Order: sequence, then C-alpha cells, then structure tokens
Amino acid sequence: MMAVASVPSRAEVLSLLRSLLQTARKFSDYNIREYAKRRTVDGFRENKELCDPSAIATAFADGTSQLELVKRQAAVYSLYAPSVKSVMEAKGF
Amino acid sequence: MAAAAASRFLRRAIPAAPIRRLSTSAAVAAETSLSAPSGEDEARVIEMKGVKISGRPLYLDMQATTPVDPRVLDAMIPFYLSRYGNPHSRTHLYGWESEAAVEAARARVAALVAANPKEIFFTSGATESNNISVKGLMRFHRARKRHVIATQTEHKCVLDSCRHLQQEGFEVTYLPVRPDGLVDLDLLADSIRPDTGLVSVMAVNNEIGVVQPLEEIGRICREKGVVFHTDAAQALGKIPIDVEKMGIGLMSLSGHKIYGPKGVGALYVRRRPRVRIEPQMSGGGQERGIRSGTVPTPLVVGMGAACEIAMKEMEYDSRRVSALQDRLLNGIRARLDGVVVNGSLEHRYPGNLNISFAYVEGESLLMGLKEVAVSSGSACTSASLEPSYVLRALGVDEDMAHTSIRFGIGRFTTEAEIDKAVELTVRQVEKLREMSPLYEMVKEGIDIKSIQWAQH
Repeated sequence: MMAVASVPSRAEVLSLLRSLLQTARKFSDYNIREYAKRRTVDGFRENKELCDPSAIATAFADGTSQLELVKRQAAVYSLYAPSVKSVMEAKGF
Repeated sequence: MAAAAASRFLRRAIPAAPIRRLSTSAAVAAETSLSAPSGEDEARVIEMKGVKISGRPLYLDMQATTPVDPRVLDAMIPFYLSRYGNPHSRTHLYGWESEAAVEAARARVAALVAANPKEIFFTSGATESNNISVKGLMRFHRARKRHVIATQTEHKCVLDSCRHLQQEGFEVTYLPVRPDGLVDLDLLADSIRPDTGLVSVMAVNNEIGVVQPLEEIGRICREKGVVFHTDAAQALGKIPIDVEKMGIGLMSLSGHKIYGPKGVGALYVRRRPRVRIEPQMSGGGQERGIRSGTVPTPLVVGMGAACEIAMKEMEYDSRRVSALQDRLLNGIRARLDGVVVNGSLEHRYPGNLNISFAYVEGESLLMGLKEVAVSSGSACTSASLEPSYVLRALGVDEDMAHTSIRFGIGRFTTEAEIDKAVELTVRQVEKLREMSPLYEMVKEGIDIKSIQWAQH
C-alpha cells in the first residue's frame, strides 16, 4: 500500500500507544472516547506477537496515521460538543 | 371486578398521542431549553417534549440509525470543504477528484459484499433501493412476469412497493414466516410460479434481528430462474455477505446503519446473468441511467469509508456485540421472569435483541426508560400504538407484542451502558408490575387468557 518505513523500535511503539491513549482521552463524546481507548489497547494487543519486520512497520504506519486522525477528530468533536453530557457521565449514575 | 380494574388501568397506561407541531429548527431549538444551574458541579438537565433528563440518554437503538464513526467523518470533511466538485463534471480538476473519490467508494462498497464495482449504484438509501428493485424489476418484465413473493416481515417500503404493484395489476404473495421469524424454504419453493419475477427476503430483520438462510433462498431462486432481492440494510458490515455464494440478484444497502452518513445507500444489480430494471428517476442519466441525479460525493465517500472500516472491524465488532448481548440478556433474565426473546436466538444478529416483558405495557415501559434510547420496534411505526406487524407475523400474542422492546447494540456500546440499561429496565419493569392488576392476578393463579374483556 505505502512505502514501508523502517522497523520501529520498542520505545517508538510504546510512545505511539501512549500518544494514542492520551489523545483518545480528549474526545468529548463518552462513547467515542471509550471506543478509541478500547480499540487502541486491543489493537496493540492483537499485534503484540507480530515478528515479520514489514508487518510491524505497516502496523506502525497505520497506527501513526490513526493518531493523526484521532487528533483531528478529537478537535472537531470538542468544537461541537453538546452542553449536556451522556447520562453515563452524570453524577449519581 | 378485577378484570374491570385491569382494563381501566390499561386504558390509563396508554399515553396520549404526542402532539406533533410543525416547527422550524429554530423553534425546536427554542423548545429545547437547556437549563444550566449555577455552579459547575451541578448536573445540567435536558428538557424536551415535557421529559426531563439529567443527561443525554444512553443510545441502544442501533437499528434505527448508528452514530457516525469519527473515521467516516474524517474521510467526508474534505469533500465539504475544498473538494466540492460535481463528480459528473468532466472539464476540470474539481470534477475529476470528486469522480475518483466516488469510484474509490464504489470499490469499497463492492468489496464488502464480494461484488464488482460496476454492479454498485449509489442511491439515497435502502428505501429507494428497495423501491427501484421491487417496482423497477417487475415493471421492466411486466409482459411476462406478473407475480412477486415477499415475506410478511419485510420492511414497510418493500411491502408498500408490493401494494403499489398490486394496484398496477401484479399479483403478490405475502409469505408467512415460522414462529422463529425464519422463512419456510419448502413453502417458498412451492409459492414460486412460472410467472414469478421476484422473491424479496430481508437478510437481517430490522425489528427482530433474525438472519434468513440467504444461501438456501438464493439456491431455490437460481434453480427456478427467479431474481432474488434482499434488503441487506441491517446486514451490511455485520454478517458476511457474498452476492455470488448467496445467489443475490438485487440488494439494497444503507449508509447510516453502518456508522456512515444518512441520506446515502446503494443498490447492487447483478451483471452476469444480467438483472434488468426500469429506473424510477428520469434525468441526466447518472449511475448509468439507473438513478439520475448528482451523486452526493461527501455522503458516498462516507459510505465507502464506513464499508472499508466494517470490513476490517467486522470480526472485532461482532465478538464484542455478541458478548454485550449475552451480558444484557443474562442480566435481565437473572432478575426478571416472564421475559421472552422475539425471533430465533440462534439465527440472529446479536446486535438486535427484541424482548417482550409479560404483564407490562410497552409504551409505559418506554416512557419510564427515558434515560435509555430504545424503541418498541421500527422507527417508522413507533409513533403508532398498534403492535408491530412483524411480531404479529411471528404469531406473537397481542399482549406480548404490545410489551416488546428492541435493544440495539453497536460498535460504540460499552459494558457500563449495558449494565445501566439492565438496571433501569429491571427497575422499571418491577415498578410497573407492582402496580399491574394483571401481574397480581397471575400471581394469584388466574389465567389471563380466560378473562372476558369489556369493550373489546
């Protein structure tokens, strides 16, 4: 699909995971935020056993583009966040 | 005596029909007064149509529509900003880039159902696709084919198209379904006549979620030389669809049931052997004459993105949705008796759980569950107090059909939401049963069916 970049180091992978989770937390929408966090963790878990260097590089590139997307969309969602939050976030629930 | 009290109660429990006001969006906004009490800690309250809620309800109505996936929105936004070209403009870059995006989206939709991109036509939604399929095919072949078969549990738009055909002189067989909601294959085969042009069976039912045996239906239709149309709006991206393996001739798809935008859908029309239809829309001949009118690039791009994501995520999503369905059903069953699942549990898309609660009036239950966005059936008929025709086709008793609630679980549903929904539903059902004379009578051992109701 795209030019395969060099294989990322363990530190780079962990840093990507951390950035994705940090950005996911910024979603104003309860359901999207929970999904983004969950899908990130599950995605990294699924790919934990990858050993083929090109597969690792592809997964890393995919994760990097997802990070950009999450950054953009977290911003869009915050621009139009409804003033009333989900009942799941209300107190006493 | 007790019966009279019960009927009085029931009459009281049926809420007055909501007054529909014609209003502009500004008026609607004005009606929705968002009172924000001073102090950040105090919860804000939504007030709309006389209902006060302490937050936006948790959404469990995925069969009505799904939220737009942020990845879908991300793909669409550029086509609302600088890439606004008409995909049919042939003379400039704006047109070319839009056309390329539309074709890429077409390929993504096609890939999800194992079709050729040339077999996919964009429409305004599954309703339009169903109309083109049913009416368009029969009108094209009106000289030789005079008969249509549709199941009784089809979506309103298929049934209404059939009724239209009847007025034009076509004959329609409304095929009954078994009590589990599935088509009786022998009955289907027997119903096909030499002049039958079309068999229409919905892939996944919108109200009860049962999955029809598409492969077997497709085989019967192929053997008898009849076109098989399936409304796959609720099936796309949720169960694997293969137009080749399932022998599908025509198929209706929708964008907003798969986390895509509203107002866009697609129609699959088989090329080999070619299925021919008469278009409904006259005009510029877009979509190769099947559906004239400018193709809405942003919406189509959104639908393409939704299909691409659905293809990647189908396994992950269905594992989750199944687990959540189990959690919901077990949670309710553990605490309530008289809970009946409508439609086959085995042949079912797990994201749709249609449950009847005995001795509870459905509308009262829905009104009491204002923190949970659920529906009693399809959104199209949820305004009426009539029991669902789908449940009646299954042979569900009138009293049970009145108490049904459809829980729709999706990609963005959380475990906490399911637990909350169980908690609120159980609490509400218990409350209603507590004041229900019917439930009291059942507990006393009176058979409700033996009661002679006055004024009925």
